[in-house]
Amino acid sequence: MSRRLAGLGIGLAFGVVLSWSGMTSPVVIRGALLFHHAYLFLFFGSAVLTATAGCCLLRRLGAHALVGGEPIGWDPQPPARRHIAGSVVFGIGWGIADACPGPIATQLGQGAWWGLWTLAGVVIGVAVFMWGGLGETEPAREPRAAAAVSGSRRSPDRRSRTAPAGP
Amino acid sequence: MLHSQLPWYLAGPALGLCVVACRLLLNGRLGVTGGYSEIIGRIARGSLRFDWRGWMLVGIVLGGTTFALIAGGPDFHGYGWLTATFTGSQRVLVAPILIVAGVLIGFGAKLAGGCTSGNGLSGNAMLSRASLAATATFFGTAIVVSFLTRALT
Repeated sequence: MSRRLAGLGIGLAFGVVLSWSGMTSPVVIRGALLFHHAYLFLFFGSAVLTATAGCCLLRRLGAHALVGGEPIGWDPQPPARRHIAGSVVFGIGWGIADACPGPIATQLGQGAWWGLWTLAGVVIGVAVFMWGGLGETEPAREPRAAAAVSGSRRSPDRRSRTAPAGP
Repeated sequence: MLHSQLPWYLAGPALGLCVVACRLLLNGRLGVTGGYSEIIGRIARGSLRFDWRGWMLVGIVLGGTTFALIAGGPDFHGYGWLTATFTGSQRVLVAPILIVAGVLIGFGAKLAGGCTSGNGLSGNAMLSRASLAATATFFGTAIVVSFLTRALT
């Protein structure tokens, strides 16, 4: 299986679940953000717990990616001001449009055409960032990216997760 | 019919398993904004050879289509509080508001290094403190904005 096909399959499953859970609907999102119902928070919380348990288990087992065979792992990145500033900007947009990037895509897939306007805005926002010389940030660097910089699989400046905490 | 929401205790773990599948198959971080960046970046260079992140975004769109075909169309009509608030001649305001909101979503997600999926799901699953801070911030901000817009309209 190619990486592209794997991506397509993961996206298909993700899009069906987002649609079936009602996340495509701005009415559902707004209802959650105004605390009318707890569904979104229970849905999101259980998704994070499942994802965390699964990903950490894969890393602990020393598993390798089924496509490509790369060792499964990642390096955490310390919080920086831009994570907060970006999330404030993102949160304002999310609170107004009641859709984030995944649901904007499922809206278009479902034929909810108001989403085209939000999409146009997202394209402008991403393009301004990409060509505004602002660089890239990731919440955690992929090991491969770190290896590309340092020329080794484990970069010397990498903070090992097995390092003892504190002095 | 599928028009009823899948119970959260099924939908949540299913969404989380998509993140795990992305790790298991590709050792990749599932982030939807990364898909937008990939597609926009490639098209700007005159290419359609998207990597897996671009194809994942294509998959998400098709996932919405699959659901709509089975469920019989979108599961909502109009556009939430915006079309409910701006009626009649004011309806023309909805599109520019959505565009501005979209710019904030796209730019903010890039600046924060992820959106609700890249930081909220995948970043937290990587036990990233940056993602935890981002998640608390965008949830808090969106909740405040929702209460503010309700108070003002």
